Amino acid sequence: MNAKASKFVLPATLAYLLVSAVLLRAQTSTSGLSGTVTSLSGAAVSAASVTAKNLNTGQSASTQTDGAGHFSLPQLTTGEYELSVTAPGFSNLIIKTMLVEGVGGTIDLALTPVPQSLPNAPSSSKTEPSLSDLGFTPEQMQSNAKEQALLDKRTHMLKIHQKLGLITAAPLIATVATSIGAGGKHTSNTDRTVHMVLGSVTSDLYFTSAYFAIRAPRIKGTETRGPIRVHKALAWIHGPGMILTPILGALAYQQKNNGEKVHGIAAAHGPVAIVTAGAFGAALLSVSMKF
Amino acid sequence: MSKSVPLVILLLATLAQGSYGRVRPLRSTAKTSGVAAPASQAASANTQWVLQQSTLTYHVSHPLHQTDGVSHTARGKGICHAGQCEFLIVVPVKSFDSGDSNRDLHMVQVTRGAEFPMVTVRTRLPESTANDVTIHADLEIQFAGQTAHYQQVAFQLTKQGNDSKISGTIPATLADFKIDPPTLLTLPVKNEIPIKVEMTWHQAQ
Repeated sequence: MNAKASKFVLPATLAYLLVSAVLLRAQTSTSGLSGTVTSLSGAAVSAASVTAKNLNTGQSASTQTDGAGHFSLPQLTTGEYELSVTAPGFSNLIIKTMLVEGVGGTIDLALTPVPQSLPNAPSSSKTEPSLSDLGFTPEQMQSNAKEQALLDKRTHMLKIHQKLGLITAAPLIATVATSIGAGGKHTSNTDRTVHMVLGSVTSDLYFTSAYFAIRAPRIKGTETRGPIRVHKALAWIHGPGMILTPILGALAYQQKNNGEKVHGIAAAHGPVAIVTAGAFGAALLSVSMKF
Repeated sequence: MSKSVPLVILLLATLAQGSYGRVRPLRSTAKTSGVAAPASQAASANTQWVLQQSTLTYHVSHPLHQTDGVSHTARGKGICHAGQCEFLIVVPVKSFDSGDSNRDLHMVQVTRGAEFPMVTVRTRLPESTANDVTIHADLEIQFAGQTAHYQQVAFQLTKQGNDSKISGTIPATLADFKIDPPTLLTLPVKNEIPIKVEMTWHQAQ
């Protein structure tokens, strides 16, 4: 080795050792990876699956993009990674990245949409057509177990609502029928008590039934159409009516028990109850009869 | 010392394309060029049929209601090869409109329409039937996660130039697809749900 050459040996060795040390440290250090997944047009791709596989250790970490297409994979061991991104309607994207020690890196990824056949274009097959020939989007064809579970829950709750609504009709009719004996000039305490008890049962059943309708899950993207609109609109009449009627009834009951003629706001108990019962009956009919 | 090392992510794929930042999949070019291929292949294919217009109507009977659900969004194609035509017709379950959103949601629920979003109909017909007045088709229908077969379903066929209009009724039942009859006010609907079919097919080549 001549002197000129030996002049470079030491710095080269030091540089080698330095790089080795850094790389060695990089093998055991952690870092993070975040970024955004978009379509080629720049629109954010939500619910895309992002997986980073460490090619040195074989370990994988996965996440999904949020509504804005953002993803974050914190605490990754530094090293060489295979980053794969999959999303319905897009071609899978696989790239290799080197995650070097330090603060988290960011990366923007653009996905290519899967080409769709036009519904009216000739089939690509010569023997038999396939689903891909028909131009439906992957979203349209994709099974959605979560939505099915939501629909199942909705139907289950609305069936209870329906049954309780029907059952409510019985004490409601009985309450209206007993109102004649409860509110006239010649009434007895017993008549009033029977009327009050029936009214209370009606009220309890009604609000239990209403609970199941109100708490039934809403299905996104569904526009309310048809007779169900009338059914829902009528709830704005019988709902407040079912709150008001017992309050007014309690006032009337008290006045009657004191030997007074029903007066003041309590006098509205009867009319409010009739409107409420009428709206409730109409709500039942709105989903029972075709018009 | 380690802090002086550039703390970057080296995007090998990006470097290969000579750009940082937004990464385009390397396969995109191949995919794009692939779109043109089917059309050129189709040019040498046998006769093809494309569904131009369709009205599919299911009928549900309930003691209190008679309901029809209509869909106009079916898509279909047919390919004739060696004297036989293979047809595929697909319609989204959610596309049926009965005039009431609540009822439609219940129908989607009982038919498991979110889990199995498409109704798929396949049939094979001899090419020679294209000139018949009445055709009898064996149908294979996939719906609600089940497959049902209907033998010799009659359809009326009317030719208008390159278009062929067919109409008929598929005698479907809920039991065929293991669907529990939906109920209204605790009363179930009838098992029979005949599906009226009106379609206009266009001979593509």
